[in-house]
Amino acid sequence: MRRNSIVLIVVVFILAIFAWAGWANWEYRKQAAEKQQAAAPQGVLVPAPGTGAPEYVSPLNGRPAPAFALENLSGSKISLASYKGKAVMINFWATWCGPCQVETPWIVELRDKYAAQGFEVLGVDTEGDDLQPGDKAGWAKAETSANKYVREMKVQYPVLLDGDSISNEYGGLDDLPTSFFVDRNGKVVAASVGLTSESDIEGNIKKALAE
Amino acid sequence: MSRINWHRNWAWIALLGFAGLAAAIAHGQFVSKSPRNDSPIKTEAVQYLFPAQVSVPAGKPSPVILHFRVAQGLHINSHTPSDQFLIPTDFSISEGVGVRLGAATYPPGTIISLAFDPNTKLSVYTGEFAIQARIEATPGNHLVQAKLHYQACDQNQCMPPKTIDVPIDVIGK
Repeated sequence: MRRNSIVLIVVVFILAIFAWAGWANWEYRKQAAEKQQAAAPQGVLVPAPGTGAPEYVSPLNGRPAPAFALENLSGSKISLASYKGKAVMINFWATWCGPCQVETPWIVELRDKYAAQGFEVLGVDTEGDDLQPGDKAGWAKAETSANKYVREMKVQYPVLLDGDSISNEYGGLDDLPTSFFVDRNGKVVAASVGLTSESDIEGNIKKALAE
Repeated sequence: MSRINWHRNWAWIALLGFAGLAAAIAHGQFVSKSPRNDSPIKTEAVQYLFPAQVSVPAGKPSPVILHFRVAQGLHINSHTPSDQFLIPTDFSISEGVGVRLGAATYPPGTIISLAFDPNTKLSVYTGEFAIQARIEATPGNHLVQAKLHYQACDQNQCMPPKTIDVPIDVIGK
């Protein structure tokens, strides 16, 4: 009888330990997932005033655009900070993105139209999302594709590489194209995900140019 | 040993067995400390459907048809996309697992145009599609983690290229 009681106590103790372990692990995972989500602020779609069509609202709206310095196609470091005083459109794109191919000529045209007012575009190539850091051939191929794309699209604005390295700061960049419109003080005033229209992009450029 | 005692002992053994099982499960959970990579919200654009297991004559290249499904509202480029910049869908098997991919035959893509660019024709897969892989296996059981590389878009936006695992138990007979 005494032996049975001891075994029972031991079993209950083991079960309690592992129940606690399971709970602790679940808590850990939950917290890790929450931390990861918090690090990559996600935007939401809300009905646009007037039209009621879904409009992307980034949590970065009204906040300073996250700083970055990335290499351009010539290998020079270009920082967002060096454009302070200008309105900037940060356009995340990739060569494999069909909607990006559609909007790029619009962006080229709008950049020319508003450059004199102090507007610039930074095209940020996010080509290598599934490339491993050590995959030299993969990265070289991605850079070659980006160069070819830029030539064919007659892109005159700075094009930066390795946009994936700043994707967390800009909300994860789960979908392309994604653009952020930054005013002369470095504050995000608008954002868009997916293909919109040339007039929508122009509207956002005007917001960024307005003081 | 009386019949009652015999039952009681078996009850204790069953209880201990249950405790051991619970311990193993809890331990399995506890050691995997890293958070899962797959997002709880986003589902995969492409899902491998079947077969989970195939039997092929050992040492002889044999056709195996692999079925996949593209999530509703999305498309992925076919193996021969219409544009140089687009990423083709590609199936592969790593070398050195006792199973070799001789060749893969891909279905022709469906030609579509998207609302935002009606003049451009795209060659894509939507819904369910199948790839015929000619595979050669050495004798025995091989759990193969084949790969499918693809890039998915919907009407207005594109997701980054992705590689998913295609788990197949290949039995070489």
